[in-house]
Amino acid sequence: MGAYSIFKGFKVTFKNYFKKSVTLHYPIVKKPMTDRFRGMVDLKPPDCVICYQCIKICPTAALDLGHKVLEDNKTKNITKFTFNAELCCFCGLCEEICPTDAIFLNKMYEVSYFDHKDLLNIDLMSDHKYKNVDGGTS
Amino acid sequence: MIVILLKGVSVLGFIAFSAMFLIWLERKVSAKIQNRMGPMMTGFHGSLQPVADTIKLLLKEDIVPQGVDFITWWLAPFFVTVPVVMAFLVIPFSSKWIALDLNVGVLYICSVTSICVLGIFMAGWGSNNKYSLLGGMRSAAQIISYEVPLLLSVLLVVMQSGTMSMQGIVHAQEHCWFIFRPHLALAFIIYTIAATAECNRVPFDIPEAESELVAGYHTEYSGMKFAMFFVAEYTNMFIISAIATTLFFGGWQGPFLPGLVWFLLKSYGFVFFLMWMRWTLPRLRMDQMMSFAWKFLTPIALLNLLISGWFMVR
Amino acid sequence: MGELLTVNMGPQHPSTHGVLYLELKMDGEIVVDCKPHLGYLHRGIEKIAENRTYTQFIPFTDRLDYLASMNNNLAYCLAVEKLLNIAVTDRAQYLRVIIAELNRAVSHLVAIGTFAQDLGAYATPLFYAFRDREKIIDLFDSICGARLTYNYMRIGGVSADIPAGTEQLIKDFIAYERKQLIEYNELLTYNVIFLARSKKIGVLSKETALNYSVTGPNLRASGVKWDVRKEEPYLVYNKFDFDIPVGANGDSWDRFKVKLDEISQSLRIIEQAIGAIPEGNPVSKVNRVFRGTGEVYLRTENPRGELGFYLVAEGGFTPYRCKIRSPSFSNLSVLRELTRGLNISDLVCVLGSLDIVMGEIDR
Repeated sequence: MGAYSIFKGFKVTFKNYFKKSVTLHYPIVKKPMTDRFRGMVDLKPPDCVICYQCIKICPTAALDLGHKVLEDNKTKNITKFTFNAELCCFCGLCEEICPTDAIFLNKMYEVSYFDHKDLLNIDLMSDHKYKNVDGGTS
Repeated sequence: MIVILLKGVSVLGFIAFSAMFLIWLERKVSAKIQNRMGPMMTGFHGSLQPVADTIKLLLKEDIVPQGVDFITWWLAPFFVTVPVVMAFLVIPFSSKWIALDLNVGVLYICSVTSICVLGIFMAGWGSNNKYSLLGGMRSAAQIISYEVPLLLSVLLVVMQSGTMSMQGIVHAQEHCWFIFRPHLALAFIIYTIAATAECNRVPFDIPEAESELVAGYHTEYSGMKFAMFFVAEYTNMFIISAIATTLFFGGWQGPFLPGLVWFLLKSYGFVFFLMWMRWTLPRLRMDQMMSFAWKFLTPIALLNLLISGWFMVR
Repeated sequence: MGELLTVNMGPQHPSTHGVLYLELKMDGEIVVDCKPHLGYLHRGIEKIAENRTYTQFIPFTDRLDYLASMNNNLAYCLAVEKLLNIAVTDRAQYLRVIIAELNRAVSHLVAIGTFAQDLGAYATPLFYAFRDREKIIDLFDSICGARLTYNYMRIGGVSADIPAGTEQLIKDFIAYERKQLIEYNELLTYNVIFLARSKKIGVLSKETALNYSVTGPNLRASGVKWDVRKEEPYLVYNKFDFDIPVGANGDSWDRFKVKLDEISQSLRIIEQAIGAIPEGNPVSKVNRVFRGTGEVYLRTENPRGELGFYLVAEGGFTPYRCKIRSPSFSNLSVLRELTRGLNISDLVCVLGSLDIVMGEIDR
């Protein structure tokens, strides 16, 4: 009979009433991100060999790199390396192609900024570009 | 004189507290059924959340849309809230705690809660909005149709107990609660379905169906007027449970604990059942709802009345 | 009988899935005509493809049908591999099958949840479906690092091998999901109110479905037993044993039931594949350069229907033209036929059962 199906539905929700919650009480309890999580683009400046592979493969042209050659015509130095977080689509192709693992995607997922302009030119060479790199657990 | 004033104030206070408690209970019950946590940050496990909601609603801008029929639009929330508060006059909280024990208590409640339809229709017509009008008309049709099975099932209880006074009905259940008699158990099922429709709860919540035509008859209300609709809905839910408790579950009777505690336990248990129903079932379509009321519930209620009446007279 | 009322179920509405603008002509509560206006989510993806290398375009395919990103990646990579004659290792093929089927299960869960939500079972089945989906999304997060737009498939393989412990997680999920499917049947499928709302609503006959080139679960619910995985097998689907669930009447309930059955069939395929993964190296390095000439049309079975990629290459690093045949576009075109004479509540029900994603329609 039709009414019996309604009682079966009630049984399902009643069983679920006593199960543990699957959500976490954020922000008191935070879950760490996985090893391969793709957060914001980050750089280890000493490892970069200025090969321009990441610039060439970025699908949205979010990275911008400039370099100059010193007087001995051998050593190259980075003049600027900026990252436009608005254009980035967090695909991770730059991390995959970098031969020295200098550019990588960190574990930051709390990416809210108060001002739109802070997003456009994030300077990857500085040490204090991001506030909560470990996803807020630090 | 002072006693009457105190009684009035305490009833109003109970209504306000109960509405807030019910809002919190609804959110927590829905959260537990859906494996989540519900409000946790405001107060202990979110118990101050309704206070926060009330403050927010009080501070909202009171927008008067252009082209509304002002008096109708302005009076509509009152026509919905006041009858529900008036129905509290005859609810027996315990053997001594009843505001006014009218000897036509049941008739009084049924007639007073019917005025709510007028308020909903005024809200739908007064807002200058075709969605609200559609919502208001649907709601009015639904409530009027489901009043017939409601009254027929309540009539059976009156026939069984021989009196229309609420305390009289409670006293008539001293030996055996009405729910345990078969013809009254059927009346209880009819009453539950009809009362859920009266209160615009799922599975009969077409008038406020969000996934169809925005928000129905209370689209154009903001701030405190919207809060009044909300409070009226939750208080109506409590009234329905209180009536169900009185008519079918023996009111405030029970061993050991005082009458008031039993009454509140049974009423809130029934409210919990209504909430449980909301988070389990899908909603019915308008014409299916109508045909269900007229072609199924009313004939069954009439047959029930006929057969049990024949048995009683024999 | 007065004049017809024109109602805009505008781009922002709680139950049009995405930004869909429906112009309804109503006579009271009955819908007389329903005209969809598209283009609110158009981003020019096909034009962008002409200026990106083959590897660079993969993140864009994620954002077509964002609920089944892995399948979109897969279709594109298969098309390029066919165009340029690139071989794929066995392990990569098995991994691709497992991931694609997991994504199919996940996408059907979302469809089921949102369909129940549109019918008024307010939020509870949706939360249960999303709770199950969360397990798979976490798994994908540990494999490739993202939860919705994965960018996992590469031309010639996948981007990274699965980490240790993934196989056990998948086996646990299969056991868990089989229990949950029984619960969905109890809560929704045979519920008398759900049946009353969705049986005989929006009946799509076989001829109409074939005329409008409807594909996927919608076609199978109308009685046509057509699945690209069986008709033109790609990857290693011909090695697995699975059924094609077919509906009897073509109404909304059949479309719902076919999706539920497809989830159990996907679990069967995954179980067989997990037991038989060969060893090897599935990774395709991302700095390989691809160029070639030719044209190819390749179609795969997306959760929503048949996704087709038509690629023309003329020797450069980028394709000359990339045309995407999206299943939701054809599925949506049948809406006008189906909703003549229905109540507006039924229109919402039919739209939910067709399961469209606007990202795919507008590209």
